[in-house]
Amino acid sequence: MYGYSGKVLHIDLATRKTRVESKPEAWYKTYIGGVSMASRLCWENIEVGCDPLAPGNPICIAGGLFAGTPVPVGGKYGMASKSPLTGFIGDSLSGSWFAVSLKRAGWDGIVIHGASDEWVSVLVDDDKVEFRSADHLVGLGTAETEEAIREELGDDQVRSAVIGPAGENLSRIANVSNDGRKAGRTGQGAVWGSKKLKALSVRGTHGVKVANPEELVKLSYDILQAAQGPHTQKYRILGTSSNVLNMNKLGLLPTRNYQQGVFEGAELVSGEYLHEHYKAKTIACAQCPIACEQVGQVKEGPYAGAMGHIEYESLYALSSNCGVSDMAASIQAITNCNELGMDTMSAGVTISWAMECYEKGVFAKEDFKCAKYPEGFEAEFGNGEAMVTLTEMIAHREGYMGNLLAEGTKRASAQVDEERGTETYQWAMHIKGLETPGYDARTLKTFALGLAAGTRGGCHNRTAAYDPDIKGQVDRFSVDETRGELAKSTEEYASVYDTLPLCKFIRRCFTGKADRAGAWPAIAQLINATTGWDFDYDAVDLIGERAFTIKKAFNIREGWTRKDDHLPYRWQHEPMKEGPSSGYVVTDEELEYLKDIYYEAKGWTKDGLIPKEKLIALGMDDVAEEIGV
Amino acid sequence: MRVHIEFLGVSRLTTGLKELKLDLETGTTFRDIVRMLGARYPALIGNVIQPDGETLQAPNILNHNARRMVQANQMDDGPGDGDRIILMSMSAGG
Repeated sequence: MYGYSGKVLHIDLATRKTRVESKPEAWYKTYIGGVSMASRLCWENIEVGCDPLAPGNPICIAGGLFAGTPVPVGGKYGMASKSPLTGFIGDSLSGSWFAVSLKRAGWDGIVIHGASDEWVSVLVDDDKVEFRSADHLVGLGTAETEEAIREELGDDQVRSAVIGPAGENLSRIANVSNDGRKAGRTGQGAVWGSKKLKALSVRGTHGVKVANPEELVKLSYDILQAAQGPHTQKYRILGTSSNVLNMNKLGLLPTRNYQQGVFEGAELVSGEYLHEHYKAKTIACAQCPIACEQVGQVKEGPYAGAMGHIEYESLYALSSNCGVSDMAASIQAITNCNELGMDTMSAGVTISWAMECYEKGVFAKEDFKCAKYPEGFEAEFGNGEAMVTLTEMIAHREGYMGNLLAEGTKRASAQVDEERGTETYQWAMHIKGLETPGYDARTLKTFALGLAAGTRGGCHNRTAAYDPDIKGQVDRFSVDETRGELAKSTEEYASVYDTLPLCKFIRRCFTGKADRAGAWPAIAQLINATTGWDFDYDAVDLIGERAFTIKKAFNIREGWTRKDDHLPYRWQHEPMKEGPSSGYVVTDEELEYLKDIYYEAKGWTKDGLIPKEKLIALGMDDVAEEIGV
Repeated sequence: MRVHIEFLGVSRLTTGLKELKLDLETGTTFRDIVRMLGARYPALIGNVIQPDGETLQAPNILNHNARRMVQANQMDDGPGDGDRIILMSMSAGG
């Protein structure tokens, strides 16, 4: 088999034993890699119904088909476990040299079982596995941990995925960090912390065998050339944070916990402002010729020294959504999340919920007591220092508020409502427990469906249904009969990229057109040159449907029902008062209609369950046996 | 008629402008406006506007009054007096 080793490594942290599992080629053709393979490994290895923070929840890592090859933006891996936030599939992606090392070490995937009694750092050194004490690493930030491991091993080519204090303290919004990039969402870092796994390091010294090296180099070179052109210019110069002003102009920029869609301070937290006043450099993920990541640095004032990776999704959450127009405070808050190992989006949305609670009298100053402010502090919208301090408190579960917010928005609001008899769930911006992304969906009706039906919860990246709404390919303000098929089509499109995985920013660089017709034939050529298979347009298209289906199947087996495809209360009951999106909500009737036509488009039952014959047609016979209807 | 043009993202960096007011003949189309912008700011050609001088380079797009994204087949429509046109580059994901 080319492109794969055919082997998955199983590591048991409780017994400190390992085993090697061989997988047949048909399995690889079905699940490929990235989030699809990671989710499939999770399907195979989880104790069904387990608590996400119990030993029965495995950490499943799947390499990228193109990691370690010349294919641009292919240096990514996928990770999955049952999410501590949602109780459903928690799948994450990261671009990283860790993905390349994993491939060079000869593993298509790694499954980590059980839990250790003591803090442990695992080293996978080609085909050897070493369990090392991690007591001395506990408390270190993410970059510090990676550096400490490289120094200990005396090898700067060792690549590590690590957690920071947030993961150690089982914050449900903790993530996993590698090379400064993150497997960022759904609380994977808490799963690592529950197993006392501080780090997984890989040293890989083998090559990656591909079927047709000359063809793969030629194809890759052409893509690389295109990736230096106008298709990716926006990413190279401004990065994703240029979306702040775009969304603001459209009335879609989450502001003050999604109470508004237009932020009066947007210019001061925009990508353009960052570029002019705070940009230190741009950096790239592994194998990436685009280099979109803008690094912001604060050089003076109370946050001097802060240096963070600034993406749009981090920025909306930790600026406008908290009402903060101080870019320095936003960079500090993002830096804290990066170093403490925490998802910026979930952190920002959870903090903004707390700020709304404070402004509306649910919380008082003394609820915010911490070592830095023993009497507590004011936490109104716009208070940058409150936002920064809360990121630290969440990571360390410090004080009442830090411990509360470390649970994420859904659990925090439920706890407060029970304790205080309030109805703060109405301000809790999450879907299935995962905090919502940087696009207000009240006037993005296709996207609203994609989010509600998404297996991951409040995630923009797995659905991509914002695309037709925002680009005006449909009327974003209304609902019609095309949206079910559109939501299906966009989520399966995104799933192809998330499975190979390839960064979606390359999507125009195959032929200049980002649609299926423009990209799938070229992706088929890359797959075939790597593996020797004979994939065509249809086979590439199936990758996405299978990837989404295995995740959906996982959720069904964990107890998903139709009511779990929901939207936040606010988006359904509170229209915005100002701006281009004012006056709209997604009504119950609209949402239920959208779900009906989406399930129909997917070929599922009215209850959103998957017929056996559908699963068998996708080559997922064993899944059909368990959850097919 | 008077039309307000706003520049976001790469077009703002390229022109050095946040906003521009244009006095136009009634009947001016969006395509005409792109041509005018290319002529006035040649650095936009190749970066934001394609070499033909009248087609926007994806993912750049015109937005009309914060409501409508002007599609390729709508470039022969035009704005009205007092309208606001935003030149933005849309994308997300990663």
